[in-house]
Amino acid sequence: MSPDPQGVAIAVSVLAATVRTMTPLLFSAMGELVTQRAGIWNMAVEGAMLCGAFAAYIVVAVTGSLPLALVAAAIAGALVSLMNAFLTATLKVDHFVAGLALNMLASGLTLFWFRAFISGRSQPTFSGLTPMDWPLADAPVLGPILFAQRPLTLVAFLCVPLVWFLLYRTRHGLELRCIGENPEVLDFKGVNIAARQYAASLFGGAMTGLGGGFLILAFSDRFLPDITAGRGWLVVVAIIAGAWRPLGVLVAVAVFAFLEALAIHAQVLGLGLPHQVFLVAPYIASLVFLTRLRHRDSQPARLGEVYRRGER
Amino acid sequence: MIRIEREPAPSATALVIAHSGALIAGLALSAGLVAASGFDPVEAFSAIWRGAVGSRSALIGSLVKATPLILTGLAAAVAFRARLWSIGQEGQVYAGAMAGWLAVTLAPWAPAALLIPMALIFAVAGGAGLGAVASGLRTRYGVNEIISTVMLNYVVIYLLSWLLSDGPWGEVAATISYQQSPPAPEAARLPTLDERGRLHIGFPIALLASLSCAILIARTPLGFEIRAMGGNPEALRRRGVDIRRLTLIVMALSGALAGLAGVGETLGVTHRLRGDELYGLGYAGVVIGLIGGLRPLGVALAGLFFGGLANGAIFMSVLSDAPAALAQAIQGVLLICILCGGVAARTRLRRTVSHVA
Repeated sequence: MSPDPQGVAIAVSVLAATVRTMTPLLFSAMGELVTQRAGIWNMAVEGAMLCGAFAAYIVVAVTGSLPLALVAAAIAGALVSLMNAFLTATLKVDHFVAGLALNMLASGLTLFWFRAFISGRSQPTFSGLTPMDWPLADAPVLGPILFAQRPLTLVAFLCVPLVWFLLYRTRHGLELRCIGENPEVLDFKGVNIAARQYAASLFGGAMTGLGGGFLILAFSDRFLPDITAGRGWLVVVAIIAGAWRPLGVLVAVAVFAFLEALAIHAQVLGLGLPHQVFLVAPYIASLVFLTRLRHRDSQPARLGEVYRRGER
Repeated sequence: MIRIEREPAPSATALVIAHSGALIAGLALSAGLVAASGFDPVEAFSAIWRGAVGSRSALIGSLVKATPLILTGLAAAVAFRARLWSIGQEGQVYAGAMAGWLAVTLAPWAPAALLIPMALIFAVAGGAGLGAVASGLRTRYGVNEIISTVMLNYVVIYLLSWLLSDGPWGEVAATISYQQSPPAPEAARLPTLDERGRLHIGFPIALLASLSCAILIARTPLGFEIRAMGGNPEALRRRGVDIRRLTLIVMALSGALAGLAGVGETLGVTHRLRGDELYGLGYAGVVIGLIGGLRPLGVALAGLFFGGLANGAIFMSVLSDAPAALAQAIQGVLLICILCGGVAARTRLRRTVSHVA
């Protein structure tokens, strides 16, 4: 008996959408994983992603250049994280308060600049990132799922082994993880803790900004004030659910992306459920995830704690 | 030689100076922002001023805008004082509005004397209930309250979206879904205080709530426990205080305040249930709570300030091209400045004598 061709087509479409949807989450999650392992509990992921998406939109609308737009997205995300590092690593503001404040700043500023940008005219649209057109894309089933994707999707997946290698197989990675667990040790050795935390934050912010840039350039042809729609928060949840390990985070991201892909296909799947049920699924899933979590000891011991020399 | 030292308990004078400095710096930065975006800051700020307090009607509009902000600001302040970083005010505003609307749909025939108290009680219960869920997730399952409240916000917002589109509460006559309910019956409109019927009783309720919260936090045993939970939870546990129960009380109280903000908007301003009118009130409350220094009376002042700003910004956007979203941008800028100001107040420069000969 041969499989129902329509069913296969829908399944392929859902899985292709899953891989596509994973991309921005994966960029951000791999970046923020590095930031969190350095002990900075960045709660401004949502804001950094929003700023990345907004910067990408402005640059592509003005110049029409997609590479420039992605660079701008990374810079914007890094700037938000830089402010977070300044507030937390230098000024020693509570990590939660700093992150909340930056999210507020990001949503306020992008909304204002966006309205100022489009005031008195219709919103410019752009043509975004297109999927690769190469021989592998025509392969049956696997072609559309894995290979008829945008080049950045492949980059995002490559980031998983790269970040794993960085964290677990390099001296810098070891020291970075040590900052999240036991900063005194490195401080005694003369390592500049704040500088390392700044570096980790910049990396995380740039990756999150890039994710925001991909989000808008691949999924939309215009900017919407709430385009990130909580994805930055899902990234934070994915890192917790993935127990701060690259592979675990990858799995968590895949689950969220699959649920979102189902929401996109709610009509085609014809389950007769309102589409809000699917839209809400990732948030409910993450709550269930978090209640089932028992391996709390995998959290970096000093995550989110302000480090002051000589105080504990 | 000058040394930088940390001062854990800054004096009131230092705090006032730092706060005023931060306020001035924030407004200057905002003016720079307006200028950099190609608008005239003097024109923009004078338009905001006139729109906020320029006439009796403008002033009343500002008080109406301030009402939900004071309530959500209090909701944030109460939770943050206990170091519970709940940002569930957004969802609790929606929950309060929905629960209030539920009361209206249950008894549309009821006279105002019955319907209004019922709607208010439902709203309080709705907001408090949602707060209790986040509290349970924290105390029972160890789920961080920031993340759980953000997730719950989205759940509630999508629930309202369904109720107003495919669900039972949408406007039946509408061919396109506008994501709104039919208008509320006359009896379900909150009583008003001015002759044109704009300033609803939510405003005095918000002021009363500020006063009550101030007394609660400063003068009652519960307030002491809330402050102690923020300062030294371990000592509180040693004293035999049930932290679970305390968390539940704080989260429910915070939710109840936010729920009141929601029903005030629905039955006092829009007179029907709509999602877009509620959007952002809870998040603004987080900003206002922090800018108000987590003190109820400070929150009331900050709420009045930002209510005026929001109302004035609408007037400004009518006069010039500058978008009303400037109000949100200024909120964000001011919050960052006040955070840095708080750090400045806790830092002192001390001249030290070197003992090395």
